[in-house]
Amino acid sequence: MLTDRRSEFEATLTRTAEARSQEAGAAIARASLLKDALHRFSRNRAAVVAAFAFLVMVAFVTFVPIFRDADPNAVDFSKAFLSPSLDYPFGTDEFGRDLFVRTALGGRISIAIGFAATFAIMLVGVVYGALSGFAGGRVDNGMMRFLDALYGLPYLPFAIITLAIFGRVNFWTMVVALTVASWFTTARVMRGQIITLKENDYVRAANALGARWYRILFRHLLPNTLGVILIFVFLELPGVVLGEAFLSFLGMGIEPPKASWGSLAQDGYTAYQAHPYIIVIPSLCIGWLILSAFFIADGLRDALDPRTREKF
Amino acid sequence: MLKFIVRRIVWTIPVILLVILMTFFMMRLIKGNPFQVTERPVPAAIQANLDRKFHLDQPWYMQYLYYVRGVFTADLGPSLLQRDRDVNDIVKEHFPVSMKLGGLAMLFAIVVGIPLGVIAALKQNTAWDYAAMAVVNAGYALPNFLIATLLIYFFAVKWREETPFPTNGWTGPSSWVLPVIALGHAPMTVLARIVRGSMLETLQQDYIRTAKAKGLRWRRVVGLHVLRNSLIPAVTAAAPLLGYLIAGSFIVETIFGLPGIGRYFIISVASRDYSVTMGITVLLSMIIIVANLVVDILYGFLDPRTRDVRT
Repeated sequence: MLTDRRSEFEATLTRTAEARSQEAGAAIARASLLKDALHRFSRNRAAVVAAFAFLVMVAFVTFVPIFRDADPNAVDFSKAFLSPSLDYPFGTDEFGRDLFVRTALGGRISIAIGFAATFAIMLVGVVYGALSGFAGGRVDNGMMRFLDALYGLPYLPFAIITLAIFGRVNFWTMVVALTVASWFTTARVMRGQIITLKENDYVRAANALGARWYRILFRHLLPNTLGVILIFVFLELPGVVLGEAFLSFLGMGIEPPKASWGSLAQDGYTAYQAHPYIIVIPSLCIGWLILSAFFIADGLRDALDPRTREKF
Repeated sequence: MLKFIVRRIVWTIPVILLVILMTFFMMRLIKGNPFQVTERPVPAAIQANLDRKFHLDQPWYMQYLYYVRGVFTADLGPSLLQRDRDVNDIVKEHFPVSMKLGGLAMLFAIVVGIPLGVIAALKQNTAWDYAAMAVVNAGYALPNFLIATLLIYFFAVKWREETPFPTNGWTGPSSWVLPVIALGHAPMTVLARIVRGSMLETLQQDYIRTAKAKGLRWRRVVGLHVLRNSLIPAVTAAAPLLGYLIAGSFIVETIFGLPGIGRYFIISVASRDYSVTMGITVLLSMIIIVANLVVDILYGFLDPRTRDVRT
């Protein structure tokens, strides 16, 4: 805290000194939005811990399969259902496969599907929402009614039917199914953002100066929504990871021997009476990811736009 | 107010038509023929007769109109696989279980979630708050298949001598407890969080300070001013809560082996009984749409400020 104040004070001193000798532009750049946001984010202890936890999980799924010398698919019945130990930190499953490396690999698939689907949701949602809000009038009304109808569809059945249409489950069909079933919230929020931003004086000014619509959209409106988009990445990610886990748990996930956290939990469920640790570990991994993403989103919200606090 | 309600109700009709249309098209996109799943191939003449019986020989818009007519006359059509049963029969058999499960889970969410949120807000930044929020965050983060499995593991297996709860089935009140908690915990955490947030906001309002300043007892301030004004926003949470309930019921019904509609949906997808899959999807959609309608109207009553904005 004290060092914070001191560096702030020093920064002010340098700024004044520089303002005297140089152009003002250089001094303003020092207190950029990003720097400001980072500063506020780093003061939110829960968010910092969550960001660290998130990175730990990403590091776990990235590095464990590289450094651990164990074949994730090697079957050895003499080692079936070993409880967690030093040799096997997460134990083994019914085929004697090492669950430590399988959990990490499953996490890779869960997190990769999570990020890919989140990215797709952002893409579809932002484009749809921005167009709807920007167009306004009848177009906007029609697009929103369509969204209302989509909101009426239940999430899991929608995703399951989409998977059934593809007729097979792999990484990409899973991403598409999850995206199709959950892009509406982002679209709706983006529309609201664009409509609010459209009313700003600088947009009117740009209009009056004869700026084309795409310049207004890409130069003035979309950049101002980046903060909200970033927050929504971390709000959508847990939902998508959980959605994938639900589908895998219901037996509509990635095909074995590949695994995700959801299908590992499903494996554990079939043996829960004698070996409860098998379902607990992948479920805790899901919980870890969900909670860290949630607190990161919370911290980002406070950091990027203090005005929108408690708005979502 | 009446104008607002009428307008809102009229708007739901095209939404319902659109939902049915989308479900209808998605079902058409699924490849495979339910009559060819059996071991022996179906002769062409019988296939033609079956097609005629289910209007499959007509153009898609006629099929759609037949279906819409069916939906509005509460007839979801025949099951494609179980020749002697309608989708209505299946819904009648399995839906009450899901309704009861969902209703009790919602009750659990309200009875546990609202007090948790209220306590956390009134005792903000104390041990009470932290304990309540720890419960809420843990419940929020842990997937319901873990909660369900752990409930069964401890209460129905490990301590089965001391507790009356069975591992599965839907046979009486003692068999309802574990599934209801497993399904209700997720909406409970959502509700607790919303109530806490909205309480904290209300507590900062000027009228609360006024009430305190004029010497009203704190208990009365909370009961009269804070609770009333903070629980109204919680009504808007009904829609996401319903979503949690429906998605969760698929998992919970599967784990506890309950004869509910969610589990039957999964069976119908696996056996390609499209008319059942579609019927259940349309039914769930209707519930969601009607719930949204009711929430909007209710909110218009509770908070007059929203009326003008939405009409």
